[in-house]
Amino acid sequence: MTAFYGWIGGLAERGLLPGDFQYPFLVRGFLCVLIIAPILGGVSHLVVTRRMAFFSAALGQAAITGVALGLLLGEPLNAPYGGMFGFCLLSTLAMVYVKRHATLPPDTLIGVFHALTLGLGLCLLVALTRQFNVHQVESVLFGSLLTVTDTDLLLLLAVGLFVAIMLVREYNALLLDSLSPPLARVSGAEPAYLEYFFALLLTLSIVVSLKIIGALLVEALVVVPAAAARNVARGTRSYLIWSIAVAFLAGAGGLGVSTRFLVPTGGAVVLAVSAMFFLTLMARSISRRRRVL
Amino acid sequence: MTEGADTTPLLETHSVAVRRHGEALLDGVTLHVGRGSVHVIVGPNGAGKTTLLAAILNQIPFDGEIAMNWIGSGAVGYVPQTFAVDPTLPVTVADFLALTRQRRPVCLGLTRHARADIARLLALVGLPGLEQRPLAVLSGGELRRVLLAHALDPSPELLLLDEPTAGFDESAVRSFESILSSAKRHANTTVLMVSHDLDLVRRTADRVTVLNRRVVIEGAPDVLTTEHVRELIPVRA
Repeated sequence: MTAFYGWIGGLAERGLLPGDFQYPFLVRGFLCVLIIAPILGGVSHLVVTRRMAFFSAALGQAAITGVALGLLLGEPLNAPYGGMFGFCLLSTLAMVYVKRHATLPPDTLIGVFHALTLGLGLCLLVALTRQFNVHQVESVLFGSLLTVTDTDLLLLLAVGLFVAIMLVREYNALLLDSLSPPLARVSGAEPAYLEYFFALLLTLSIVVSLKIIGALLVEALVVVPAAAARNVARGTRSYLIWSIAVAFLAGAGGLGVSTRFLVPTGGAVVLAVSAMFFLTLMARSISRRRRVL
Repeated sequence: MTEGADTTPLLETHSVAVRRHGEALLDGVTLHVGRGSVHVIVGPNGAGKTTLLAAILNQIPFDGEIAMNWIGSGAVGYVPQTFAVDPTLPVTVADFLALTRQRRPVCLGLTRHARADIARLLALVGLPGLEQRPLAVLSGGELRRVLLAHALDPSPELLLLDEPTAGFDESAVRSFESILSSAKRHANTTVLMVSHDLDLVRRTADRVTVLNRRVVIEGAPDVLTTEHVRELIPVRA
């Protein structure tokens, strides 16, 4: 990878690429955005269609608790994947199981899990600040490019490919199940399997994206790109393309802002994606007004 | 296929009962739906008609027995009573119909084969050229015709229709009747339909069951002329 970063740096020095690419950590960050955009953009349009926005928020909280748990159990600060993935996986399975077997509305049940993981996470974070510098913990909560390593990048790539392959296999069934579970079942799909399947893919996508976006803000990237895309898309194809494009532009824009103004990457990305949501909302409103006139 | 096999009902229910929160939604429903027939279930609101279809589709728990005597593909077509579409959902009619007609994810584009199938199906239900219309902007009648198109392909051995003509205008009802008779004639499709449209029932049904949580009466469509049946069903003027 060093040779690759050197080659990119050379191109930047000759003015063929923006000057920021002289720094390997920024090249790494941009590569992360290139991989995260299709993963989270692609996943987000199904998250919104399947009405799992609140579920994703609860999963983001679970990730914070998982990070804290992992660090307390001795995981390295720059790779607390074990605690994070383990706790998120447990939370996902518990949420889906309880949602399928309880009679209360799903948002009420997820609210219970949300509160539970948040309470636990806060207690663990306080314990954590006794062992670590609060700024080191901040990078996990809000995302930081400085802590992203080549191993993280490769993990992101491997998980991204896995999630993409799995989604391609079941996309049509997932969409039909979102529109009408009885019709999906008649066509041979098993709604319980699809619900667990998609929740696990979402968990994987969130966990690997967390180091760059941050635990507190990752849920924004699995909801807002699709919400923005809905303002302008007319079919599933344009819905997917817009979701990925919005995630990419927000990621790249947020990266630029975070390096220029020294603000956390996650916060900058979320501000960028929110701005894109309002821009698409305006575009929709203008286009409607034109049609009326 | 033997002649004896042909006379076996395609669908049999024996003493089917469904309870929810201690209340009986269905109580001992026994039904025989003849192969290749159009069997219509009528009854007042809350009679358990949709619940019976859900039990037949094995989508809710029930007591009793439901048996399917398949001799063909075993394919089931279904038009549900409700199909709520999120008004901002960017899914077109073609996207929706392609979901079960191609392996490739519909968000990556439709195959040529799926496009041809969809054009044929939409023409069949009287909605030619509607492929690119978002589902969310369809009228109630158009949406039900799209659902009917979805249910008709692949050619089902059993077609379950829950209020299929709700929101249809007169010409759409006539077109529906012709589709039904064509499916019966060419594919020997067995139809189990829930309907409140008694004129439609009289024109299309081979057999009628009046349901009010249990079977009230069953027979040829002329059972609907009896006084007690009229009391049970909200008859259209």
